[in-house]
Amino acid sequence: MIKASLLLIGTIFSLTGNICCANDAITVVANTQDRSIYLNRQEVRNLFMGGAQHYGLHAIVLPPNNQTRVLFNTKVIGLTEARIQSYWAQMRFTGRKRAPHEEISESSVLEYLKNNKGAVGYLPAGITIPEQLTVIYSNI
Amino acid sequence: MIKRIFHFVSASCIIFLSCAPVVQAEDEDKLEFSGFARVIMGYLDDNNAEYIYYDNSVSFDQQSLIGFQADYQLNDDFSVTGQVVGHTGSQRDSGLEWLYLTFKPNNAFQVKLGKQRIPFFNYSDSLDVGFAYPWLTLPQQFYDTSFFSTFEGVLANYEFARNDWVINYEGYWGYYDDEFRSGSRTVDTKITGLFGINTTLAYKQFSLRASYNQGNVALGLPEASQFGELIGQLGFSNNANWLNPDGPIEFYQFSANYENLDYFVRSEVVDIVGKSGLTPDVNSFYVSLGYNFYPYTAYISYSKRDVKFKHIPNEIPYAVSPQLDQIAATYDFILSQFRDENVNGSKIGIRWDWRSNVALKAELTLVRANGQVSNDSALRDLGNFDGRAVLYQLGIDWVF
Repeated sequence: MIKASLLLIGTIFSLTGNICCANDAITVVANTQDRSIYLNRQEVRNLFMGGAQHYGLHAIVLPPNNQTRVLFNTKVIGLTEARIQSYWAQMRFTGRKRAPHEEISESSVLEYLKNNKGAVGYLPAGITIPEQLTVIYSNI
Repeated sequence: MIKRIFHFVSASCIIFLSCAPVVQAEDEDKLEFSGFARVIMGYLDDNNAEYIYYDNSVSFDQQSLIGFQADYQLNDDFSVTGQVVGHTGSQRDSGLEWLYLTFKPNNAFQVKLGKQRIPFFNYSDSLDVGFAYPWLTLPQQFYDTSFFSTFEGVLANYEFARNDWVINYEGYWGYYDDEFRSGSRTVDTKITGLFGINTTLAYKQFSLRASYNQGNVALGLPEASQFGELIGQLGFSNNANWLNPDGPIEFYQFSANYENLDYFVRSEVVDIVGKSGLTPDVNSFYVSLGYNFYPYTAYISYSKRDVKFKHIPNEIPYAVSPQLDQIAATYDFILSQFRDENVNGSKIGIRWDWRSNVALKAELTLVRANGQVSNDSALRDLGNFDGRAVLYQLGIDWVF
């Protein structure tokens, strides 16, 4: 009986763990002809912070307080929303870089990606990715 | 000739930006307006001193400001940017801060031509954008050394990534011809051959920045120049040379920063070397630690500024003649007006990001002077100052 209970508890924890991991996962998707592109976390961070890269990609983001954005900031960028906003204020008013284009929701990100070559955006893992888009990073 | 080119570019930028509203109807995406504002209240707990122009009364009009920026995209590669800032503080002139033409052929390289901020330090070109930094007031013992903030000239920037490193090179060249306020003095200043280079290396959550800047400074201090000429004619050449207000100045800056979701460490150090007697050597630094618990950021900071003039002894003998006595006394008086200073500041503060574009801040700064106060920096002795004062500040920073 005790063994069965422990097994049950273990199974529940195991399943919960898997669900948590899936919920925390981010996929970065691009509209690119080069399907071999696959970036590491640091390269993705650099891309979304406006850094130079030679793939010709331009980032699009979700609005502040969107859960996928919060997850992306936490898991990939590694900075708080406040710090990211202050970074873009400094970049904008010193004429160095422009903040990425913002789309209102995950579905509008997908639509934008499909219609704009070179666009790259982040989405929650598990979302169905259209055939013409390429996954260039995933933290699963 | 160079001045004329920059004036031509500036005038062209004004014409483009003033015509932009007409063009806006054709393509709204090409024109963007944005801005920033800050309202800051301050109170100094000391009757005998002023610090960043705050005294022993509640004041809102020392650092509060509003700025507007217009960006107009001419085509894929060229854009024009103008920024005007209105200051409430009498120590800063309101008006045009930036006006430049940008050529950006790709994401890695850009060149800007026109009136711009000098990128001496990490925040030199965003001093007025309080939303861009965690502190309410930048560490003053360090940023007080930003004697002059804008220049007219050309600035080029190149950035590339290699593995996990992001490397940025920047260089500028131009001139400065305006007045700057240093404590109680306002001095006409011309700087020619003003140039600088800096590089930033970023690796994961770390970043390092190093810069070198230099210029040939001509200070408008006619009394010192005329008196220097007089004693030079009398043969006291060392003292005469010391009073020559013109000469090169060099800035060496280094910065190291680390930040992650929970913490940040920011630090900068600068060594300023002035070759003329009236331009001091300045060593200053700050180090700041912060803890993030979103939407709040708490921080502490320590900064120090050490100003040293290369005073040379009076060669002019006393008790030879009444005229020489007067000249010697005048020299000693001038010498006494250029005082060394050692000041430090300790801060504790909190920032609350109330909205994604609005931050509320509270900060307490303890400023301490070791020995005399020169009255040429942010700290001023109004008489009988004991060398210790606390500045209390509340503020709101907004970008739009």
